[in-house]
Amino acid sequence: MLVSGIKSKPVYSPLAADTLGRYHLMLATGGAATALARVLDELTAADPEAVTRARVLFAPDAGTIAAGAAAPFAHWPRLDVRHFPDIPALLAALRVVLDESVMGTRLYIAGPESFIGRAIQLALEFNMNQDEIRAEELGSLARRVHCIHCRTITEEVRTNIVECGRCGRWLLVRDHYSRRLAAYMGVMIDAEKPGERPAVEVIFP
Amino acid sequence: MTDTRSTHTPPIQARPTQARAAQAQTLAVEVTAIEKVTPLIKHFTLSAVDGGELPAFSGGSHIIVVLRGATRVYRNPYSLLSSPRELDSYQIGVRRMEESRGGSHFLHDHVTVGSRLEIAHPVNLFALAKTARKQVLIAGGVGITPFLAQLEDLHGGAVPYELHYSVRSPEHAAFLPRLRAREGDRVRMYYDSESHAIDFDGLLANQPLGTHVYVCGPAGLINRVLTTAKRWGWPDSHVHSEQFAAPPTGDAFEVFLARANLKVHVPPYQSLLESIEAAGVEVPYLCRGGVCGFCQTTVLDVDGELDHNDHFLSEAEKSRGKSIMPCVSRAHCKSLVLDL
Repeated sequence: MLVSGIKSKPVYSPLAADTLGRYHLMLATGGAATALARVLDELTAADPEAVTRARVLFAPDAGTIAAGAAAPFAHWPRLDVRHFPDIPALLAALRVVLDESVMGTRLYIAGPESFIGRAIQLALEFNMNQDEIRAEELGSLARRVHCIHCRTITEEVRTNIVECGRCGRWLLVRDHYSRRLAAYMGVMIDAEKPGERPAVEVIFP
Repeated sequence: MTDTRSTHTPPIQARPTQARAAQAQTLAVEVTAIEKVTPLIKHFTLSAVDGGELPAFSGGSHIIVVLRGATRVYRNPYSLLSSPRELDSYQIGVRRMEESRGGSHFLHDHVTVGSRLEIAHPVNLFALAKTARKQVLIAGGVGITPFLAQLEDLHGGAVPYELHYSVRSPEHAAFLPRLRAREGDRVRMYYDSESHAIDFDGLLANQPLGTHVYVCGPAGLINRVLTTAKRWGWPDSHVHSEQFAAPPTGDAFEVFLARANLKVHVPPYQSLLESIEAAGVEVPYLCRGGVCGFCQTTVLDVDGELDHNDHFLSEAEKSRGKSIMPCVSRAHCKSLVLDL
């Protein structure tokens, strides 16, 4: 059912330091913080002072909270690390930080796609372009799904089809992605023959 | 992330058929006003010969003006400086070049009110980024011209903008009264004669996220802006520059066009592109100033050095020597064979 080869489906790659950037704004949730640690190592190797121009916004996820794990940033005492209780709090702070940021800033994002998508959505409001943003997908593949019929977003969708949280239509979760909405498009699956729909399967674990 | 389109405008790779269409359909215009605005710059107003509206354009566009001299044809690019909302005429500013091969001298000395010229349709290789949060425009000398049209688009909009305009001395500040009347303090002037230079670091170190910088003017100014922006971490997609290189003069040389099976002589004061055209071979082009990449031609063989003067090929491509932009580049060679 899932039409593949749709160009708007984001493709991510492992984070690497962009040493051409002057300021480095880094976001991570849960265990994805290790990807930022790798970038910090690379930045420090290129320029020991780069860490003073870097800033981390971090929020734990359920896994790290359960494990009582600390984020791996103690290694850089001069690094500006800000801890947030959850992703919504982190994203609210991100808006303020972006508003104060200047040209020369690079944005690094590590975490599940739904987090990456919402962070990029904010960065786009500040006209950050593709050559200023890097993202590594780590964690759940759960999708934000935009019902194209009632324009409501259903969060944390792990299945091939999903019932819209507002209008109740059964939606096929497509690979068609909107950066502006930070969501995949969901299209009514049984419009032609009401009630005729495939079995629900988990395909975005 | 590879799914996304940046707002950066890469050098246009339009379809060859589009270029041929643009080349083929020249517009007939008549010079309806000429004003000398500085000791070196003349301001020309061009109106359609049939009195109708000219094609629409956006700020930053240029036209190619075809000038038929006694012994040769010039095709020079000039930015449109008039308002994109007023299409009863186009306006251009022409600086008299010291080392002109004749194009700017022809316009200055032989074109009068009532003269008829041919122009190509406008093409924009220097468009404003529509999603910018702030626009910083930097002009040097006659490089003010594309910004005059862009300011018409920016004026009264929600996006903050500022213009930094550097000239030799006050008498060389073309179009300043018009700018002051319209833009007031948004225009910052810098005069070489008063040793007042642009503070490039100050200008680029603390711009808010989403700012775009545009520079048009002499090569030295463009290089300063590009290197300063790079040092402060600006990504390429936020830095825009345009300079129409006049085709430099050089030694005469011979070129062999392999497909046409034709040998062409390139004299010192004629460009490679002009010489090929004079021999009756058409090469697709858009800007004729080494910017757009449209006339890129494959070099099949060269016995000597290519003299690359364009802003399109990368340094690596230039040193590889497999491509040349005949609009501005030449060769010091015994022989040159092109795939034309």
